Amino acid sequence: MKPSDASAGGWRLPRHELALVAAIVAVFVATGWLDPNHTYFANWAESRDIILRNASLLGIIALGAAVVIIAGGIDLSAGSMVAFSATTCALLLAVFSNVDDRRLVTVSGLGIAVAVGGALLSGLLVGTLHTWLITAIRLPPFVATLATLVGLRSFARAMCLFVTKERWGTESQQINVNTPFFAWIKEHNVWLSTGTFLVLALLTWVVLSRTVLGRHLYALGGNEQAARLSGIRTENVKWFAYCFGSLTAALAGIFLMADSSVAQPGNLARGYELNAIAAAVVGGCSLQGGVGTVTGTVLGAVFLRLVIDAVSKLIKASADVYEGMIVGIIVALAVTFTQVGQFAKAGHALFPGARGLAAIPTIAVFAGLLAMMAAANVDAFDGRTPLFGAVVGGGVLLALAAIRWMQGRRAA
Amino acid sequence: MTPIIAFRGVGKRFPGVVALDDVSFDLVPGECHAVCGENGAGKSTLMKILSGVITEYDGEILVRNAPARFRGTRDAEEAGIAIIHQELNLVEQLSAAANIFLGREKRTPLGLLDDAAMEREAAALLASLECPIDPRVAAGSLRIGDQQLLEIAKALSLESDVLIMDEPTSALTETEVARLERVIARLRARGVTIVAISHKMDEVFRLADRITVLRDGRHVRTVDRAATNPREITGLMVGREIADHHFHHERKRGPRLLELRSLTLPWPGHPRGFRLKDVSLDLHAGEILGVAGLMGAGRTELLETIFGASEPTWTGEIRVDGQPVRFTHPDEACAAGIAMVTEDRKRLGLFPDLDVAANVSLCGLAGAARGGLLSRSREEALVAEPIRSTGVKTAGPHAAITGLSGGNQQKCIIGRWLLVKPRVLLLDDPTRGIDVGAKAELYQLIDRLCREGMAVILTSSELPELLTLADRIIVLTEGRLTAEFTRTEATEQKIMEAATGSYAPR
Repeated sequence: MKPSDASAGGWRLPRHELALVAAIVAVFVATGWLDPNHTYFANWAESRDIILRNASLLGIIALGAAVVIIAGGIDLSAGSMVAFSATTCALLLAVFSNVDDRRLVTVSGLGIAVAVGGALLSGLLVGTLHTWLITAIRLPPFVATLATLVGLRSFARAMCLFVTKERWGTESQQINVNTPFFAWIKEHNVWLSTGTFLVLALLTWVVLSRTVLGRHLYALGGNEQAARLSGIRTENVKWFAYCFGSLTAALAGIFLMADSSVAQPGNLARGYELNAIAAAVVGGCSLQGGVGTVTGTVLGAVFLRLVIDAVSKLIKASADVYEGMIVGIIVALAVTFTQVGQFAKAGHALFPGARGLAAIPTIAVFAGLLAMMAAANVDAFDGRTPLFGAVVGGGVLLALAAIRWMQGRRAA
Repeated sequence: MTPIIAFRGVGKRFPGVVALDDVSFDLVPGECHAVCGENGAGKSTLMKILSGVITEYDGEILVRNAPARFRGTRDAEEAGIAIIHQELNLVEQLSAAANIFLGREKRTPLGLLDDAAMEREAAALLASLECPIDPRVAAGSLRIGDQQLLEIAKALSLESDVLIMDEPTSALTETEVARLERVIARLRARGVTIVAISHKMDEVFRLADRITVLRDGRHVRTVDRAATNPREITGLMVGREIADHHFHHERKRGPRLLELRSLTLPWPGHPRGFRLKDVSLDLHAGEILGVAGLMGAGRTELLETIFGASEPTWTGEIRVDGQPVRFTHPDEACAAGIAMVTEDRKRLGLFPDLDVAANVSLCGLAGAARGGLLSRSREEALVAEPIRSTGVKTAGPHAAITGLSGGNQQKCIIGRWLLVKPRVLLLDDPTRGIDVGAKAELYQLIDRLCREGMAVILTSSELPELLTLADRIIVLTEGRLTAEFTRTEATEQKIMEAATGSYAPR
């Protein structure tokens, strides 16, 4: 099916989504094969649970990030929102439990309902605050949500100290949650979070592709002034977008709290907002606004988590150290690949002028250092890791220099 | 005379489109050469090749008899060729002087910026354009007309001997056009060759020594001005003669729909203090009211105030069907049956990421939804009628809107508003940047809508357009309504006199 025909059907997987599916399959097969234990093939069930759970939690937040990005905004506060929601939930549980119950085992059904509802409501409140800052105070979305990124986590920590002191007389930086309901969520977290993610994705897809509100979100992100002049209540559309963004983070907060049986606002979900934005961008959302799909975002989240998991299979020791680097490389590559076609057409030079010349050794040094550190995990390279790093770095240097030379010759 | 520039078989292909095909003609030193053609004829592409913006093309260009192949605008500038683009190319946050010297900043012996020298020179340059602005003010705070002159000053500062102007007067007022023409005459006296792209026949015939017509990327003819006439050139451009339009008879004026009484829109912080002052007018069903005025006279502000698109800080009275209204959002105007097609299509009208159908259906989406859900087939059915009745030429409802010509994009935006079935249609300079053929089609469309009982307010920077279409014409001068003419009274002369404040009604 040609891409032009694809748009005729209800379900369409344009080139970007197809490329992501191919990339997911490629990473899966490659990791299964390269991994000395072949975990993906030998013990798929265990890996599946980890990937599904992590991809779902990332995906839930990424859906919120995608809606805000499509509407032409940005929400940097998701990580802090997760912490804020989890803390709100735990504190409400504390209020509804017996006074001497510091592990929050004894909470009534009503208490649980209020706690979960309160956590979700906290998302709507923060979304409304964002909308007010952006539409009435006219702060740029980046600034408004940067303020809450910094402020909300601190606010959650202060709330935690205050309520624990008031309730139990001693201040605490965290609250243990051993409520049977949340223990049950923890036990079934894979299928609960995956199910929630899929239902949420379906709902988001319906809203974006099949409702007037969804069309208005795209219109707002594509051309805000034209949208307003077409009679669209752009402020209300933004209100929905930012509330949705915060609500998804709040939902993820409840799952994360249940997973760790503790609400610890100091460190919970630090940096998650950037992974969520990265997943949306890898999934094809344009930070200019007006462009993006739910399918792409879902695939972007799965791809990102799969790659992070794959690296943990290949590099045994402290794989989490490499997470940020991987996300960064993937985002850069994903956006580059969508532009490679245009580059080729326009004869765009990859390493133009002096800055291109300077970029070549820069990239080579990074590649060499990375290769050296990666080689330290492989026994065969024992004692020869600097040599290996130098070889890789030199190879990259020569390869990039060759690209520059060839492009220069073609242009001349 | 040896040509200063010679095009020899120049061609350019974009994916799927032949923009230029085997174009050959010469420019002789010191002439003013007009390049005419409809949108998409290849004028801009040719000029981008000459100015080094486009570097890959077929054929060759001779500069002073030597083959030249520019690898960027810098190469072209060094060869003495400068271009003033139609789309403004200024850094709005920087001062006028900084914009003029952008990329070629003057420095003190210590290597620091020499603002004083740049401001002195900028002031002198701007003075030579009769544009007495302070070179230290931010470019973004200047009026569009002054920004355009700033662009011209920037090109002049290059001391080029070939100056390409891509529709230089499109954003200028009549007085600014006159002063640009004086500047052009002065430059030509110094031996500068001017290449001007223009849609406006009167301007072409006032300025040019020779006229080259392009059509569909091909060179049609290069003629001396003295040996031709506007009708022939227009005919060459479209490949057919355009009949004069006479629309204004036979319209039936219906009931009064819109009344403005002493409408005043304040302008805080501006010496004048108001954008509009004491504007009163009536609009009836089935008539077209033309609004004439120079740039900055308040035409757009008048329409935006009626439409509720600006902050409702106005005083006076607006009545729809005799009921006073105060719209705070376009949505409310829309509900009252008022629609507005905005001036700047790209910035205020189009959604480049949405397809044709979504661009058209936007205001009437509720009609394509059932149970809150949109259906693709219902949306297609919804937009079929406005696409047909406005005559949009598109490969299909799901083609990219950005692939359409300016005229077809404008028809899409008008079609968008037809979906809300407006009774009052506000058109803000709807034919700006649209080629001759599409203009004629838009005139017919506007005339038909009016005959069907719609009330239309039309602004235009081209007086012949108003004289062709409007039943009555009002003139705004610096925010005040200074004259009103019926169709039979109005002449370009009278309107210009009123707009420039020299008209004294008896």
